[in-house]
Amino acid sequence: MQELRAAIAIGKKDLTILSRYRIAVVAQIFTPLYQGVIPAFLFGASFAVGGRVLGLESSVGTDNLAGFIFLGGVISGLVATSFWAIAMGLRNEMDQGTLEATWLTPTRHDTLVIGRALGGLVWFFLSQVVLFAIGMAVFGLRFRIEIVYALPALIVAIVGMVGVAYILAAIVLLIREANFFIDCTNFLFSTASGAAFPVTLLPGVFVPIAFALPTTYAVDLLRQQAIGARPIVDPAAEYVGLLVTTALLFPIGRWAFARAERTMRRRGTLAQY
Amino acid sequence: MNRLEADARAFAASAVKELRITRRYPAMYLGMIFWPVLLPAVWVLMAQAYSGANDARAVAAFAARAGTTEIAGFVFVGYAMYMWLSTILWGPGTALRREQTQGSLAAVFLTPTSRLVPLFAPPVAALPNILATFGVMGIAMWLLFGVVPAPDAALRAMVITVIGLPAMYAIGALFAAGVLRFGEIGPVVQIVRGTFVLACGITFPVAMLPAWAQVGAALLPPTYIVADIRAVLLRGFGLADVRGDVLITLVLTAVIAVLAVFLFRALEASARNTGMLSRF
Repeated sequence: MQELRAAIAIGKKDLTILSRYRIAVVAQIFTPLYQGVIPAFLFGASFAVGGRVLGLESSVGTDNLAGFIFLGGVISGLVATSFWAIAMGLRNEMDQGTLEATWLTPTRHDTLVIGRALGGLVWFFLSQVVLFAIGMAVFGLRFRIEIVYALPALIVAIVGMVGVAYILAAIVLLIREANFFIDCTNFLFSTASGAAFPVTLLPGVFVPIAFALPTTYAVDLLRQQAIGARPIVDPAAEYVGLLVTTALLFPIGRWAFARAERTMRRRGTLAQY
Repeated sequence: MNRLEADARAFAASAVKELRITRRYPAMYLGMIFWPVLLPAVWVLMAQAYSGANDARAVAAFAARAGTTEIAGFVFVGYAMYMWLSTILWGPGTALRREQTQGSLAAVFLTPTSRLVPLFAPPVAALPNILATFGVMGIAMWLLFGVVPAPDAALRAMVITVIGLPAMYAIGALFAAGVLRFGEIGPVVQIVRGTFVLACGITFPVAMLPAWAQVGAALLPPTYIVADIRAVLLRGFGLADVRGDVLITLVLTAVIAVLAVFLFRALEASARNTGMLSRF
C-alpha cells in the first residue's frame, strides 16, 4: 500500500511540474497535430479518388483515413510516453542531480518507474481525449462502437510498454548521450509498430522485429475494432502475440533495470551525469 | 586593415569556432545519417499504404495534385527542405541564444564587429552539414527507391538552392531577432517550423490546402524554392521555366531582409535599454 501511495505521489508530482509549463502543455497537444496528423492526413488525402482513399482501402481494408492516422497516433503517444515520460524522465532527474537523493528514500526503485508511468499515462489519456475531440470536430474522425472491444488489448500493451520503459530506463541511466538514443529509438519503435503504415510494408528484415513488439498487435487490434481494418494475421493469434510479448518484456525489463542499478552502485555513477 | 577586412576575418574566425564546437559532439553526425534517411523513407512507405501499393488511379490522383508521379522524389525533396528549414530557423537564433545563455552575448555585442558576424557566421558553418545531409538523402533516394536525378537536373536544383539561400537566411535572421527581446524562442521556432511544413508543400502538395492557406503559402519563399527544386529535378523543367517563381522569391527575400534588419535594430536597441543582452 505504501508503495502504491509513493507511486501515486510521484505521478502527481510529474503532472504538477508539467502543469507549471503551460506552453509545453499546449505544445504537447498541438505538436503531434501539426507535425504529424495534419501533414499525414493531407498527404493521404492527396491520393483520394472521388473523395475516397481507394489505395488505403486496398492496403488495410478501410478508407477511413482519419481513423487510421489518429489510431496510429494513439500508439505513437503510448510509445512516446514510455520513452520520454518514463525512461527519459528518470534520466532528467539524474541530470538535475536529484536521482541519488530519491534513490536513498525507502521507496522501492521499481516504484520510481511505476510512478512515472502513472503520471505519464494520465497525461497520455488526457491528450488523446483532446486530440480525438479535435479530430472529430475538424477531420471528420469517426469510430465504430466496437472500439471498446480493443480496450483490453490496449491495457495489455500498456503493461508491455512499462516493461519496455524499464529496459530503456536501464540504458539511459548508463549511457551519456541519452537524448539522441531516446529520440531515435522512439521513432524506430513507433515506426516498427505500424503506427504510420501497416507493418507488412516494412522491408523483410524488419518484419520479425515488428512482430516482437506488443504495440504492433495492439494497434492492429485497435484498428480492426475501431475502423474495420483488415487484420494482418488472425486476431486470435494477435492476442496470443500481444500476451506473449508482454509476458516476456515485463520481467526482462525489471531484470535489466535491476542490473543497471547494480552497475551504477558499483561504479558510483548514480550522482554523475 | 580596413573595417571590411576585419569583419571578414571575424566572420571566418567565428565560423571556424562553430565548426570546432560541432566536431566535439560526434553523436550529431549520427543524426545526419539517421534522420535524412529514415524520416522520408517512412513517408514513402506511408505513400505505399495510401496509394494501395501504387494503384494507378491513386497515383494519377496524386500526380494531378503534386505535378509528378515520382512519389519518392517528391517526399525526399520535401524533407531536404525540411532539414534545411530546421537548420536555418534554429541556426541564427540558436547561435545568439547560446551566446546569451553562456553569458557572452553582451561581450560579443560590445566588440566593434558587424552584427552579421554573430548572426550569420554560425549558420554558415552549418552549410557543410546541410550539404552532407542533401548528399545522404540523394544516396538514400537512389539506393532505397532507385530514384536518380539526371546530372543536369541536379545542377539546376543546386542553382535554385543557391538562389534560395538568401531567402532562408533572411527568414532565420527575422526569428533570431526575437532572441534579443524574448530570450528563449525555441517553442516559437517549433510553431513556425510547423507552419512552414504545413503551408509550403513540404510533405504534401500545396493544392491540398484550403484556398486561404494557399494565399498564405504564396507569400513564403520556401513554397517557391521547394516547388522549383521538384520541378527541375522531377519534371525536367529548365531554369527559364521557373524564372517567374525565382523573381517572386527574390522580391520576397528583399522584403523579409529589410524587415529583419529593421526588427533586429529595433530589438537590439531595446535589449541595450533593458539589459536583455546579458540576461537569460
